[in-house]
Amino acid sequence: MSSTPFFERRLEPQEAPLVVSGTIVLSILAALVVGSLLFLPFGASPLAAYTAMFSQSFGDLNGIGFTLVRATPLIFIGLGTIFAWASGFNYLGFEGTLYIGGAMAAWLALLCAEDGAIGPLPPLLFFPLVFVATFVAGGLWSGVVGWLRARFGGNEVLISLMMNYLAVFLINYLVSGPLRAPGDLPQTARLPAWTTLPFILPGTRAHAGILVAIVAAIVVWLVLRRTPIGYELIVAGFSPKAAHYSGINVANRIVLAAFVAGGLGAMAGLSEVLGVQFRLLDGISRGTGFVGIVAALLGRLNPFGVVVASILYAGMGVGADAMQRRAGLPSSVIFIIQSLIVLLIIASDLLRYYKINWKRR
Amino acid sequence: MPPLLDMQKITKRFPGVLADDQVDLTVQPGEIHALLGENGAGKSTLMQILYGLYQRDEGEILIDGKPAVINSPQDAIALGIGMIHQEFMLISRFTVVENVVMGLYDTPGPLLDLRAAAQRLQALARQHGLEIDPYARIEHLPVGVQQRVEILKLLYRNARLLILDEPTAVLTPQEAAGLFTVLRSLAREGRSIIFITHKLHEVMEIADRVTVMRDGKAIAAVSTKATNARDLARMMVGREISGQFEKAAPAHNQLVLQIQDLQVNDDTGYPKVNGVALTVNAGEIVGIAGVDGNGQSELAEALMHLRPIRQGQVMVDGVAVTHLSPAAHRDAGIAYIPADRRKVGSVGSMSIGHNSILGRAFDFAHRGRLLFHQQRVKSHATKLVEHYNVRAPGIDFAAGKLSGGNLQKVVLGREVMRQPRLLIVEQPTRGLDIGATDYVRQQLLAERERGAAILLISAELEEILKLSDRIAVLYKGEIMGMVEAAQADVEMIGLMMAGSRHEAL
Repeated sequence: MSSTPFFERRLEPQEAPLVVSGTIVLSILAALVVGSLLFLPFGASPLAAYTAMFSQSFGDLNGIGFTLVRATPLIFIGLGTIFAWASGFNYLGFEGTLYIGGAMAAWLALLCAEDGAIGPLPPLLFFPLVFVATFVAGGLWSGVVGWLRARFGGNEVLISLMMNYLAVFLINYLVSGPLRAPGDLPQTARLPAWTTLPFILPGTRAHAGILVAIVAAIVVWLVLRRTPIGYELIVAGFSPKAAHYSGINVANRIVLAAFVAGGLGAMAGLSEVLGVQFRLLDGISRGTGFVGIVAALLGRLNPFGVVVASILYAGMGVGADAMQRRAGLPSSVIFIIQSLIVLLIIASDLLRYYKINWKRR
Repeated sequence: MPPLLDMQKITKRFPGVLADDQVDLTVQPGEIHALLGENGAGKSTLMQILYGLYQRDEGEILIDGKPAVINSPQDAIALGIGMIHQEFMLISRFTVVENVVMGLYDTPGPLLDLRAAAQRLQALARQHGLEIDPYARIEHLPVGVQQRVEILKLLYRNARLLILDEPTAVLTPQEAAGLFTVLRSLAREGRSIIFITHKLHEVMEIADRVTVMRDGKAIAAVSTKATNARDLARMMVGREISGQFEKAAPAHNQLVLQIQDLQVNDDTGYPKVNGVALTVNAGEIVGIAGVDGNGQSELAEALMHLRPIRQGQVMVDGVAVTHLSPAAHRDAGIAYIPADRRKVGSVGSMSIGHNSILGRAFDFAHRGRLLFHQQRVKSHATKLVEHYNVRAPGIDFAAGKLSGGNLQKVVLGREVMRQPRLLIVEQPTRGLDIGATDYVRQQLLAERERGAAILLISAELEEILKLSDRIAVLYKGEIMGMVEAAQADVEMIGLMMAGSRHEAL
C-alpha cells in the first residue's frame, strides 16, 4: 500500500514545451512503426520505403517544391480553423470556402483577361484586388453561418457542413454553365498567365502562395496574441459567460471570427486556382478543407505549428504518390499512417497526465 | 466498548501535496463529532477515504474495533457509513422514493416494489420527525426538504455513521435549527454523526466533540465543553483572528443607485424578480439577505444588464442605464463581482495577467487601439497581484489553478482598481477560508470608505450583519422589508427570509 506506483497519475497534465513536442515525436514514430506492418505483405523493407518516401518529398529541390505547393492550402485552412475555434466557433465549412475562394479568384482573373469585361490591370493593382475580393467572398460565405449562430443559436457544425455541398455544386454549376469554356471538359478557360502567382524556386512548381500563407500565419499569431480584439475573441471562445459579463459583445465577436476564418479558407482556393490549376474546375480540393483542420489540430492550434504540420503532412502525401509510382506500394498505406499519426497524437495527451518513477521504493 | 470509528494515522499523498498527514479521528457511538478546518485543511480528503472514494497511503481504519477494508462507497455503505455531499446527489426528475431506493437491490425478484419502499420510508420519516411525501418530485421541493431526503436515504440504508459536508450552507437559520434537532435525535438513538464545517458557532452549538484540522494535520481533538470559539479559531487558522470590523458612520449621503419596480425573468422565462425598489447611497453598503435562489443572482445580473429587464428602471447618478449594454454599464462606473468567480468572473485557462484586464482590454492598447501595450498590461497585473496580496508564482500563472481565495482577490482587485461608483458584490466570500474571507471583507469596507456605493448580496447572514449599513431581505423576488443594520435582529431577518413581510422603514 505504501509503495509508489511506477506510473503515477498527475493532477494536471505536464505542459512543458519539451514534453509536449516529445510526445508528438513519439506519436509519429509509433505510427511509423505500426504502419510498417502494412509493408510486410509486399515484402518491402519498411525502412527503405520510408527513406524513399521522405527523400522524395524533402530530398531535393523539386520534391520540396511539390511539398510546399501541397502545404499552402493546408496552412490557410489550418489558420482559418485556429481563428474560428479560438472564439468557440466550430466551423467545418472550409471545403466550401475553398471552392468559393477559387471561384472568386478565377472569375476576377477571367474578367481581367484581354477579352474580359475589365481587361488587363497592372499586377500591383490586380493582386491586392484579387486577395481582398477572395477574402471577402469566403468571409461572407462563412460569416452567414456565424450570424445564424449568433443571432438564432444555429448549429454551426451542421450548417457549415451542409454549405460545403452547396459550394461544391455551385462551382459544378459555374464550370458546366456560365463560366464553361468551349471544349469537352467542364472547366473555365485558362487564366491569363500574368494573373497567376509567380514561381519562387527556379525549376520547381513552388509558387508565391506559400509566402502569403507564412505572412498570414504571422498576422494570425499577432492578432490572437497581441491585440485587444484577438483577446476578446479568445475570451468569448473560452467562456462566453465571462465574456458577456465583462462587456464583450459575444455575437459580434463570433461573426467577426467566422468572417476571418472563411476569408483565410478562401485563400486556399485562390492558391490552388492561381498557383496550381490556372483555371477553375471540379474537384480542386481533394478534401483539403478537412485535412487542413487536421493540420491545425496537429499543430496544436498554434499558427506556426500549423505551418510545420502542414508541410509534414503535405510531404507525406507527395511521398505516398511517389511510392505508388515507383515501388507499386499502394498510397493508401500512407493515408493509414497519416490517420494513425492523428489518432496517436490525440491519444498521447494522456501520457502527459502520468509521471514515471524510475526509482521504485 | 470500542469506538464506532477509529481512524489511525491516516496519510494520503497526491503528487506534490500531502493532503492528510498522520491524522487520527475517533468517533464514539451516539456522538456528534465536528470536523473543523479551513478549505484545503484535508477534511474532505479524510472523509472521502472513509467513504471509499480514495485509498489511504498509510494508516488503519477500525470500525467497532475491527480493521475495515473500504475500497468503494459500496463497502462503506455495507459497513453502515453514509455521506451527504455538499451538492446533493439527487435526480430532480425522480420522486423522493425513487431517489431513496436508487442503487439498492433489496426487493425479491426483478421488479421494483415502490409501494412497499414508500411505506417503509414513511415509517422511517415519522419515527425521526422528517415528514415527507414519498411521491413528490425532487425538483418541486425546497432545498431544506431535499436535504431531508438525503438523510432519509442514509437511514433507509440503516447507516450508523452519517457524514454531513457543510450541511447548513444552503439553509435558512430556521431550517438549520430544524436540521440540528433531527441530528440530536439521531444521536440519541445511538447513531454517530460527523459534521464537516468551518463555522465555529455551529461547532459550539451542535457538536459533542471536535477535531480541528490544519494543513493536513489533526491539530486537536477536544470536547466542546472544554473549549470555546476563540480557541477553536486560533487552532484552525494558526493565529489570532479579529472577526470584528471597525466601521465609521457613512459620511456621504449622495444617491448613487436607484431601482424602481424592477421585474426580471430567469432563463426559463419564469419571473424571478418581482417589483424590487431600492436605493444605495455613496459610501454605503446595502446588504441583500435571503436564501439562495430567491432572485439574488437575477437581480445582480439585471443591474449589469447581463439579463434583460422586463419592466422597471435602474438609475445610476440620476441617469437611466436600464437598457444600456453591459459594456456601457461598465463605462458608467458600475463594477460587479459575480457569485461564480470561476466560470463568470474569470477565465480559468487564461493567465492572471490576462484576467486582470478582463472587461477593459482596449484600455491597454497602444494609441490606434490595434496592438496591446505589453508593458502596461504587465505592470497593471503586477500591481494587482502585489496590491491585493494574490499568492501566485507569477502573473503568467493560469487563473484557474489559483485557490478560491486568491482567485477572488484577482477578481475583486480587478473590479476595484477601476474605482467604481457602484460596486455590486454577490456571495463575495462563499467557499473562502477565514483568512481570505477576512481580507475580502476589509477590502469591501475600504471601498465603502472611499465613497463607493455597494450592493452586497450574500446568503451568509453573518456577513450581511457585519458589513451592511442597511439590510433588505429578498424572498421569491420581492423585498420583505428593509432595516437599519444597527437595529437588525437575527430572528426577525430569519422570518423575512422564510417569507414573512416586515414593514419597518
